Amino acid sequence: MISVESWGIAGSVVDQGRSGLGWLGQSRGGAVDVVSLSLANRLVGNPESSAGIETSGGSVLRLGEPTMIAIAGAVADLSVSNGPAVGWGSPVALPPGAQLRVGRLLDGARLYIAVRGGVSRYEDRLRIGADPATAAATQAAPRAALSTRVRVWPGPRSEWFHPDEWDALLAGRFEVTSTSRVGVRLGGIPLRRRHDRQLPSEGLIEGAIQVPPDGQPIIMLADHPTTGGYPVIAVIDHADLQHAAQAAQGTMLSFAAAR
Amino acid sequence: MVKVLPYGPLAVLVEFDTLAEVMNASDAWREAALPGVVDIVTAARTVLVVHDGTFDSGHLVVPKSTVVHVPTSETVVIDVVYDGADLGHVAEACGLRARDVLELHSGAQYTVAFCGFMPGFAYLVGLPPVLQLPRRSTPRTRVQQGSVAIAAEFTGVYPRDSPGGWHLLGRTDAVLWDDSCTPPALLPPGTRVRFRPT
Repeated sequence: MISVESWGIAGSVVDQGRSGLGWLGQSRGGAVDVVSLSLANRLVGNPESSAGIETSGGSVLRLGEPTMIAIAGAVADLSVSNGPAVGWGSPVALPPGAQLRVGRLLDGARLYIAVRGGVSRYEDRLRIGADPATAAATQAAPRAALSTRVRVWPGPRSEWFHPDEWDALLAGRFEVTSTSRVGVRLGGIPLRRRHDRQLPSEGLIEGAIQVPPDGQPIIMLADHPTTGGYPVIAVIDHADLQHAAQAAQGTMLSFAAAR
Repeated sequence: MVKVLPYGPLAVLVEFDTLAEVMNASDAWREAALPGVVDIVTAARTVLVVHDGTFDSGHLVVPKSTVVHVPTSETVVIDVVYDGADLGHVAEACGLRARDVLELHSGAQYTVAFCGFMPGFAYLVGLPPVLQLPRRSTPRTRVQQGSVAIAAEFTGVYPRDSPGGWHLLGRTDAVLWDDSCTPPALLPPGTRVRFRPT
């Protein structure tokens, strides 16, 4: 058992979510940065599908039993009382009574805590699942730097924009003005449409970049609506979704043409 | 005219002129269980085909419009208490009595065109033209779960409490979304629906 003394900023229990339900109005949900949750799970010997904790900082956990954990995703100030130090990307065995504090995030927007056996939430406690009976990692994971340049493909409505706007998207730098489980809002030189026709709502996927009438792009993340009425100018390459998911407020993002 | 629009390496968006063509194509493609396709998101004028990268969109054959796909599923009957907050307003705007609205709405046969807005929210077509009104000019900040409502050519049921701009005709106890069911939505696209006054 783990007691959640504070969920912190946007703290929750997440797994990989459920794909394939867009036709029923349900987006994937689950971890916004699936790659990092999977890494944390592998480090403690879990299957990648195990549920872990997603937080944007400020979470405090108190362990009620011997527990192996691993941290991946964002880099944060981490501190442990009544137990050994915890770092990024290494499994650590913590004794009962240990308290793990996730402080401010220093790089990235979402941190993942995997617990050997996985967790299920009820109220402010986390029950730990059965031991996976596979070995935990014996070496620390190398940390790949987060990129602020993400690759994009032309979207279905790129022709709704002035011909220069595709180049403007690739040449510009866009500041992350906010990020949530739904999407990343960007601010930069507005992308101008050729006309102000209304678009009937149409399907969205993760990584789709919608442009509302104000010209400031929005990148769709795990909890995106399944349809939307703003034209999609571009779609982020799947391999770079993690970088969009980890772009914290204030980050300057830029785009490159995928091929 | 059918247009195939790019949507990155894992999806393709197909645009049609009418909702009927959209429904016909998405029903046919869903039934065909196309290899590599993981989701088919139907909307008002488009079908988004999401795949795993192994699918070739050249395999998307648009069914001839003369061949209308008839869903084989049973009709889902939804029991409704017609006491919605907008029943009187709708009657007035359509030049009808409240009882006529009830009879027209519950007398029609509906089909789920697509889902969206929130998990399990189905856009049903088949609403009698006399009941077709624009959305409310000011949406409500909270519409209760189970509310049965109309807007434009659609009727639908709110699966849970949410903001909403549709006209409320009544309410139902039907469960529109249940995670333990497969599929979790009571009204997937293609489902035929009737409303029964109680």
